[in-house]
Amino acid sequence: MKKTVPQRIFSAVLMTLISVSVMFPLAWMAIAGFKGKTEVLRSPFQFFPQMWRWDNYSAILADPQFMRAMGVTVVGALIFTALSLTVNTLAAYAFARLEFTGKRFWWVYCLTPMFIPAMAILLTSFMVVSELGMLDTLAVLIIPGSASAAQMFFIRQFYLGFPMAVEEAALVDGATRWQIFTRVFLPQSAAPFVVMGIASYLAYWNAYVWPVLTITDPDLTQIMQFLGNFRSDRGNDWGLLMAGSTLASIPTIGLLLVFQRFIVNGVRISGIK
Amino acid sequence: MTALDSRVAAPADPAPDGAPPHGRRRPARHGRDNRTAYLMIAPMVVLLAVFVMWPLVYSLYLSTFKISFYTEPEFVGLDFYQYVLESPRFWESIWVGLYYAVLTVPTGIVIALLLASFIKTLSRRAASYMKTTVYLPAVVSTVVASVLFVFMYQDDGVVNAMLGVLNHGPVNWLNDPSYALPAIAVPGIWLSFGVTTLILLAGLLDIPENYYESAQLDGAGFFQRLFRITIPLLKNVLLYLLVTGFTLAIQLFELPLIMTNGGPVDATMTPNLYIFASFRDLTPYATSFSLTASLMLFAVLGAISLVIFRLVNSDKAIDG
Repeated sequence: MKKTVPQRIFSAVLMTLISVSVMFPLAWMAIAGFKGKTEVLRSPFQFFPQMWRWDNYSAILADPQFMRAMGVTVVGALIFTALSLTVNTLAAYAFARLEFTGKRFWWVYCLTPMFIPAMAILLTSFMVVSELGMLDTLAVLIIPGSASAAQMFFIRQFYLGFPMAVEEAALVDGATRWQIFTRVFLPQSAAPFVVMGIASYLAYWNAYVWPVLTITDPDLTQIMQFLGNFRSDRGNDWGLLMAGSTLASIPTIGLLLVFQRFIVNGVRISGIK
Repeated sequence: MTALDSRVAAPADPAPDGAPPHGRRRPARHGRDNRTAYLMIAPMVVLLAVFVMWPLVYSLYLSTFKISFYTEPEFVGLDFYQYVLESPRFWESIWVGLYYAVLTVPTGIVIALLLASFIKTLSRRAASYMKTTVYLPAVVSTVVASVLFVFMYQDDGVVNAMLGVLNHGPVNWLNDPSYALPAIAVPGIWLSFGVTTLILLAGLLDIPENYYESAQLDGAGFFQRLFRITIPLLKNVLLYLLVTGFTLAIQLFELPLIMTNGGPVDATMTPNLYIFASFRDLTPYATSFSLTASLMLFAVLGAISLVIFRLVNSDKAIDG
């Protein structure tokens, strides 16, 4: 589809507008990392610091705890993402395509957690994980949240839209449900997996309350926990928080750059390329 | 659906697999797949049982006790439910949550749908750039975004400066009860539109291009294509966005906590913030009261979502 000149100009203007409105806060965060302790909160609003200080960035980078927290959190987030995609996709396929006894009941059962406010079960799930001896292990951060009603619901909605034709042909040819799932559905799932995978990754990455409750081992300190402690140890230093948040966002942006290319014009599941 | 099928699967479309019957139920001729199905849902069912359902049941049990740090728990039955039901501030907070959801969910979906349609028209490289860019706000933590927007809303902030250009007096955004919640809705939409855009983009890219081509051959305009093809075929995804959007919006917590702390005069006191505030309250039994309030919020959320499911689920394509 060739575009006319006005269309090209329109696209360019729109892209610039969106970029500016999105990038401005990010740039502010990165630049505020160069500001002094209270300069960040100074009124009236100033975009650039009076003096560019490197000490916030260098203080964080010099702390061995920071790199360790980044490493532990990246590893945890990747395992968490893989585990939740596996668990939720399996259930999503069953709910989208299989007929089984009690399907309605299990569907409501698996969807209900979406409506449970975190506050309602925060205390009691803490009691459960400590009873199971999971405190101060990576498992307590990874396993409890991995079954996600919202993620299962999303992937199921996606699978509902897949055409039936190929599946029915495969069934006639004697393929099992399992083969259809792994050979027809999984290869077509890159886009929903990337969208949900990044969301899982970010949810793990930004978690604060749960790690603070369950992790006391300094070797397992998560990145948001680290930033919180780092700031309060130094008396609410906002410049430091901004510098830390900027550095902590780098791995996520990197992942985004790598994986966005999977959200593309998909080969249709119809099997006709 | 039927209008679409007759339109698209007409002779103009070579529909090689015979017009994909989107979302139609599989005929029951293959029988049931109990074994496979139970194996597939088992991990999720077990994990939810241990880490969500059991804690929920336990919370329900605890909510029938009066808990205090100084005395033994005392069984009080459903007393706390009555207190919560009779608390006008609880119901006001539910209305604040609903108002916020109405402000943000439809707007967010419309903005994201427009953006996703726009990204779909771009060249490969421009599209890669935009797909990354729209997601960036989600990477910024809510804390950072809240602080930034507090600055922008100050009397001499960016927003009032722009209003000044339009010859409009400064507005006291976060201190005026009628402006405070809409003012919080802006960063709320800003933080979440990237995710919604990518979800809708993935959905849009899944619609076969030949649907649009044949519609165009038949002379369908932009709006006809939008309402006859795009929206019906995105129905599954839109239902997801509506339900999750509403549940997330009503559970909004961090933005009003940092930007307004629930004020002015409770105008931004969302349910979770109210629960949090009553937990911190110095009155005895604050724990029991806030626990019960959060369980009541669960009931309200469930009821609203049921209504959304019923409304959208007008034909049998959606529900198992």
